Amino acid sequence: MALINLTGIQPIDYTALADEAKPGEGETIAVPVAQLIEENADLFATAGSVGAIIGTETPFDALGDIVGKIDFAVIEFPAFGDGRGFSLAVRLRKDFGFKGEIRAVGPVIPDQALFLLRAGFDTVEASGERKAAFEAALERFPAFYQSDFGGQVSVAHTRHSAEGQRKAS
Amino acid sequence: MYAYDTFDHALVNARVAEFRDQVDRRMTGELTEEEFRPLRLMNGLYLQLHAYMLRVAIPYGTLSSVQMRKLAHVARRYDKGYGHFTTRQNIQYNWPKLSETPDILQELADVEMHAIQTSGNCIRNVTTDQFAGATADEVADPRPYAELIRQWSSFHPEFSFLPRKFKIAITGAQEDRAAVKWHDIGLVVKENKEGEIGFEVLAGGGMGRTPVIAKTMRDFLPVKDLLSYLEAMLRVYNEQGRRDNKYKARIKILVEAMGVEEYTRQVEEEWEKIRHIPIDVPDEEVARIKSFFAPPPLAVLSDEVAEVDDLAAKNFIFKSWLANNTGRHKVPGYVNATISLKPHGGIPGDASDEQMDLVADLADAFSQSEIRVSHEQNLILPHVARKDLPALWAKLDAAGLGTPNAGLLTDIIACPGLDYCSLANTRSIPIAQTITERFDDLKRLMDIGPLKIKISGCINSCGHHHAGHIGILGVDRKGTENYQLLLGGSGAEDASKAAILGPGFDEHGIVDAVEKVVAVYLGEREDGEEFLAAYRRLGPDVFKEAVYGSH
Amino acid sequence: MAKKVTGPQLILANRLDDGRAVFLTAAGEWSKQVADAAVANSDDELENLMSVAQAAEVANQVVSVTAVAADESGKALAPAHIKFAMQSRGPSVRADLGYQVSPNWEQ
Ligand code: HEM
Ligand code: SF4
Repeated sequence: MALINLTGIQPIDYTALADEAKPGEGETIAVPVAQLIEENADLFATAGSVGAIIGTETPFDALGDIVGKIDFAVIEFPAFGDGRGFSLAVRLRKDFGFKGEIRAVGPVIPDQALFLLRAGFDTVEASGERKAAFEAALERFPAFYQSDFGGQVSVAHTRHSAEGQRKAS
Repeated sequence: MYAYDTFDHALVNARVAEFRDQVDRRMTGELTEEEFRPLRLMNGLYLQLHAYMLRVAIPYGTLSSVQMRKLAHVARRYDKGYGHFTTRQNIQYNWPKLSETPDILQELADVEMHAIQTSGNCIRNVTTDQFAGATADEVADPRPYAELIRQWSSFHPEFSFLPRKFKIAITGAQEDRAAVKWHDIGLVVKENKEGEIGFEVLAGGGMGRTPVIAKTMRDFLPVKDLLSYLEAMLRVYNEQGRRDNKYKARIKILVEAMGVEEYTRQVEEEWEKIRHIPIDVPDEEVARIKSFFAPPPLAVLSDEVAEVDDLAAKNFIFKSWLANNTGRHKVPGYVNATISLKPHGGIPGDASDEQMDLVADLADAFSQSEIRVSHEQNLILPHVARKDLPALWAKLDAAGLGTPNAGLLTDIIACPGLDYCSLANTRSIPIAQTITERFDDLKRLMDIGPLKIKISGCINSCGHHHAGHIGILGVDRKGTENYQLLLGGSGAEDASKAAILGPGFDEHGIVDAVEKVVAVYLGEREDGEEFLAAYRRLGPDVFKEAVYGSH
Repeated sequence: MAKKVTGPQLILANRLDDGRAVFLTAAGEWSKQVADAAVANSDDELENLMSVAQAAEVANQVVSVTAVAADESGKALAPAHIKFAMQSRGPSVRADLGYQVSPNWEQ
């Protein structure tokens, strides 16, 4: 496995907390959402930094209960075609202004690199062989029709800005 | 017509380059078929029975003559000299080579066309009324809004991997020629009391094995809110649409399950959160797109043209063509003219490269270089002066394109069926061919009047059989082709679901059954009553009795 | 998909590059003519043929490998089901296209 960095963020090095396990003092851990919503004062008191492992079945509203408490989020794609993963990242950024790292894990493919970036992901865990393909895919499109969370402004808006008019002509 | 600027060109070219790379990776084995399949589907490339099939979008059904010539060129150079115009305002090529599809897409990109999102679980080509901008009965031209949606939905970061395909249709006219009630989202252009343009918004329509007619969510949504509202609709669907069963994954199932009121409530709640961030485009952008669809400069002419009346008086075929295949234009002295791709005995929706070239030439000569594609698988010259009709018709007729049957029984929609499609149970095209041969008498057809027959080769319903006045559905009965007969559907503003009449038939029996149904109609109809109205009044029993006998 | 087929079977696929339907022969090659197809009459034979076919799939020569029931009752060997028979001939509505013209119709 390799870590592909889409945004140039300083990636977080974490341990996924095993079932029923207790975090070590000051440890950086990732925990399933359900566990974070339950009673968890101890966990937050002990761990140094806590991230949420978010499955695509997670109701979008549940994010509201955890977002104030976590430092990073790990969204698990069961299949690359499960588009809920993208919406979950969008919600974290858009509805809750989440600024921490969002990582994609699971069988996402290089051809989705820009979709991931634009939905708000910072990093992707993928097989090392695919690193080059991911990086190439990031360079593929010069602009998009939607404004996104990576700071890209939609073509529709660019067209009517001074800069855009210069480009279009 | 919309013209690409540097941004649009850059995006479509980038997509071609991306696909070229993906095809190369597939050919060298770097990508497996399993990985490649969704990528090719996102570019409209399917694998069918005999070959690949490439589906190219014709956004909102509008083509220039230059684009039509390119479609002809692709058919000639990369395919077998023909293409198939579909019910979704696309064209399908049946024989392209995988390794050549990037070249095809590049040639199309050069004339501002693409195959982006013509397949896969994303927002598909937005369809509209084929007469948009060229019909007397319209509130406003829906195409600028369709273009707005095309751009917003292209490569959308959140909505490119939905639970299932997603189809949006818009009509700007009272008479719904875009079947909006059969779409995942239907939009009807309206004008409110203040003279502001907006949309009635419908959701949850669809065909397939569970046909559902869309329900109204909102009576009036102002243009400025269109994209944020759509974004909210899609977000709720993306989150909650079922992903465990592909037959239950369309939005229609979600809307049925939660009820349209609850779906609307959730959408509006989401919309409140997002409507003030810049999803919706600046007003200048709407104005910019609209400017491309400004009505063509047509000098008002007289509707009275002696040559037209004279020819109609002498020539019954021309007279019928005038009655069936031309419709009132916004500008006096002009019509929109439908070029039937339904010659009797022919393949519905197919056109040869020569026919496409000819239509391009005729568009240059008679229709401001503009062509339309209808969901009924016909072509349209939208802006023809009445005085030019005799000359136009003569050229069409000579090329086998003058069949005067638009809207009549032989103007049949048929999907490719088992002749091409790998999902099919049965063939569809031969049934259409036999019916059109059986009814190859223009006087009889004119007497029968408006009657829509729609044929699908399996329950996926690409041939819209649920919306047929007479629908025909192919089913597999122990390895043989069997056809069910449905009656009473409509794809228009009075949308209704067709109901199965009784047991199925073989390929001959189904044609006989259609003939019996028509005979009942002719016997029972009241003055001026069309087939659908008569069926609705009479109910299925008389038809059942005629078709199956009274047991 | 299709129900489990029993009885004689042949193997059908589409070529990767042009998508044309092809049939697996006893020599392990892919032919455009169904007449050349190897017929498996037992589970073992079928397994052998399938392993050859799947190797060709892994080698990116063909896609969509399918074993289908064979009909040997007529004059010529044919797939039993109409869908696969269609693949051995071409579109019924275009007699000028497909293998029904000739196996080498595109040359
Ligand atoms: C030949 C290759 C084709 C394939 C493999 C194919 C596949 C499908 C499938 C699987 C569905 C069902 C989707 C669902 O219910 O979720 C569908 C629906 C549909 N297709 Fe096709 N199709 C093909 C060709 C066409 C053609 C030629 C047309 C137009 C004539 C067309 C128009 C449609 C329409 C209108 C629907 C119904 C949408 C609805 O359920 O609301 N398709 N197609
Ligand atoms: S209705 Fe069925 S047979 Fe017809 S094109 Fe669609 S999937 Fe194929």
